Amino acid sequence: MRYAIAGNGVAGVTAALGLRARDAHASITLISGEADYFFSRTALMYAFMDRLSRRDLEPYERGVFEAQRIELVRGWVKDIDAQARTLTLDSGRTLGWDRLLIATGSRPRRPQWEGLESVRTGQVHFVSMQDLEASERAVRRGEKAVVVGGGLIGIELVECLHWAGMEVTFLIREPWYWPVALSDAESAMVIAHLRHHGVNVVTGETVTAVATDDSGVVTGVVTEAGRRYECRLLGVSIGVEPAVEWLRAVTTPPRLKRGIVVDAGFRTSLPDVFAAGDCAEVELSGRAAVVEQLWYSAKRQGRLAAQAMLGDAVQYEPPIFFNSSKFFEIEYTAVGRFTEAMREFYYRFEGRDASLRVGEENGAAKAFNMLGSRWDHKVLEGWVREHRSLEDVMSRLDEAQFDVEFGRLNLAPARAAFEHWRRAEWAAGKAPA
Amino acid sequence: MIRATPGGRLAHDITNRGATAWIVSALLFAFYIVLYFTEWFTPLARALHLGSKWTLYGTLYTLAIVIGGGFMIRRYGHNRYQVIRTFSVMSVQLLFAYSLPQLLVFLQQPEFYFSYLWPLKLDYLTPGYLFHLPLPFILWSMLGSFLLVPILGVFFGKRWYCSWVCGCGGLANTFGEPWRHLSTKSSASWRFERVSIYTVLGLSVILTALLFASYAVGGAHPELAAFTYKYQGWYGLIVASVLAGVVGVGLYPIAGTRVWCRFFCPMAALLGIIQKAGRYRITVKDDMCISCGLCSKYCEMGIDVRAYAQANTSFTRASCVGCGLCAEVCPRGVLRLENVARKAPQLQLVQIVTR
Repeated sequence: MRYAIAGNGVAGVTAALGLRARDAHASITLISGEADYFFSRTALMYAFMDRLSRRDLEPYERGVFEAQRIELVRGWVKDIDAQARTLTLDSGRTLGWDRLLIATGSRPRRPQWEGLESVRTGQVHFVSMQDLEASERAVRRGEKAVVVGGGLIGIELVECLHWAGMEVTFLIREPWYWPVALSDAESAMVIAHLRHHGVNVVTGETVTAVATDDSGVVTGVVTEAGRRYECRLLGVSIGVEPAVEWLRAVTTPPRLKRGIVVDAGFRTSLPDVFAAGDCAEVELSGRAAVVEQLWYSAKRQGRLAAQAMLGDAVQYEPPIFFNSSKFFEIEYTAVGRFTEAMREFYYRFEGRDASLRVGEENGAAKAFNMLGSRWDHKVLEGWVREHRSLEDVMSRLDEAQFDVEFGRLNLAPARAAFEHWRRAEWAAGKAPA
Repeated sequence: MIRATPGGRLAHDITNRGATAWIVSALLFAFYIVLYFTEWFTPLARALHLGSKWTLYGTLYTLAIVIGGGFMIRRYGHNRYQVIRTFSVMSVQLLFAYSLPQLLVFLQQPEFYFSYLWPLKLDYLTPGYLFHLPLPFILWSMLGSFLLVPILGVFFGKRWYCSWVCGCGGLANTFGEPWRHLSTKSSASWRFERVSIYTVLGLSVILTALLFASYAVGGAHPELAAFTYKYQGWYGLIVASVLAGVVGVGLYPIAGTRVWCRFFCPMAALLGIIQKAGRYRITVKDDMCISCGLCSKYCEMGIDVRAYAQANTSFTRASCVGCGLCAEVCPRGVLRLENVARKAPQLQLVQIVTR
């Protein structure tokens, strides 16, 4: 059996190792145009900030691929022929396969701004190894930078450029930072933290145009409100989208929507061609299709796609949502998703950048947003699965704490505030009987 | 307003094996060679009213720990484990490894370091030396090595000693902090470590046995006494002077801070064995690792922590000194040092890669 995998990100590599663990004899080829070896994309910011070398980004010793007999091929896949069971690289080299996994990940979403066509230098994204290199080259210590986009990658880029000594303005289109996940109050804490570090944070500003000088160097951006922000470096991180455009031009394109359409067993519309990770749009039975674009989901999908390629009956069911991040020094743990229908208890700790928020629906805790201290998401997930009540969850919250020894966040004030809140809710008739 | 600034070229160079790092390393080597093998520091020590070159060295060593500890606490002030631990190594050094021995000498008692125990300090179980000490010192030495070390080791792992008490670890975790990330993480170094550290432990146990044998029957067997004397001389030169001092500290800017602790220290070897059987472990939060590698990078013992974290495997490695920096630098709070009553079986590294 010949397995070929396009993309050596976390989905592709997890799949390759998963295939080898179960099939000792197959030939496994891992193809990447981006980098010779698998690296941690989530750690790009630490390479930028000199905390890690390029080599440190590699999660496995290089010898692992040889020991596991995974052939690494450097090149961009340009063509796929599902009838002939071949793929062709940009070098012209053609490779045969019996089962193919497409795991080409995400690419930055492109903005629709006036003046973009004149930009030669000074505009960067922060998704790929090439982006990291471009960002490092574009840094001008002491000069102004603007980062557009209010998500996780945006804040990483802000931290990097700030570290590099640039005067950074963070332009957020939404009324507050990352409204998909954070409440107004949570965002306010994060923004205050950024400002404390000296970052200029501007919310509710939509960029409409980018300005350049005669040689195509970025000089600033202009917003809908007509304001102009000068900059020598423009970071664009307005989200990512499945990297599937290249598939429209191949001999046998798989069915595409937002991403490569796959069933719950990661099969594309082409025989023996699978897709997993950020580039896949998974059609779940009886539910809306999902495009998951997190490190965690890519790793999970890569593992399952390998099982599917080995012939197992795989039925993907996304688990209870969880995510994590770090906004400068503020750590973030999320479990479940908040909805409009939920009743919420929120508490901001005094004297430190820490808060907690619990969402409840039909008498059961469904979602947690924890900022500024450490939590075991597995414990929180367990409570969601067990439909535990808000009261129950609040009374045993310490079981989920994961702070360092001697450094446990004191939950007593949060519990007292919860009691107060609960009585008020009850008096207002909002609490369930 | 906090202003982040990149360390600058010199700071990068000196902490990333640049030219300046090699210069600092050469100076440290030179310092130790002069200290151990010449008397050049003696006049300076006398001029400073410090008695001997060893008191001068002790003063410098203590200063390095106290000043380095101050920087450590400033840098990791938000992490109480780091603050308390650093305060502990600073205090132990200042009191038990510096002030108290001098006070004892002043009171015409033997110069005794309560913070050092056999097998790190072989003298403290050398009959010719030990039995000439006052009884409380003898008791401390015996009980310390044979009760305190194993009991605390079982409950808290080796960290209670290596990262909270020991002067070697103390220097590494204060003065040496800027170089901690230079330890090699290769599997080859792990294989070497397992041979080297238990070899030194074996050599130290054999030496102690010889010393006791020679003490008991050396009069009747002069060739045994002579051999033991020679063996002891070589051990002192190679292990105590060269490996612990010259190489151990001299290599800070090149190979990281725990070369001695990781590859050679017999005390660390013994505590490591106890740790494997005891309660201490690093707990990994399932599925939360992003494989960034900061934990591995900042592990001074060269443990590839990321390999365990990304495979959802809580683990206990014999070499782990429990400094807690992996948990500190983890941007997703995946790791926590714990003492648990019951440990789950740990995956081997081969299983980890293919899982």
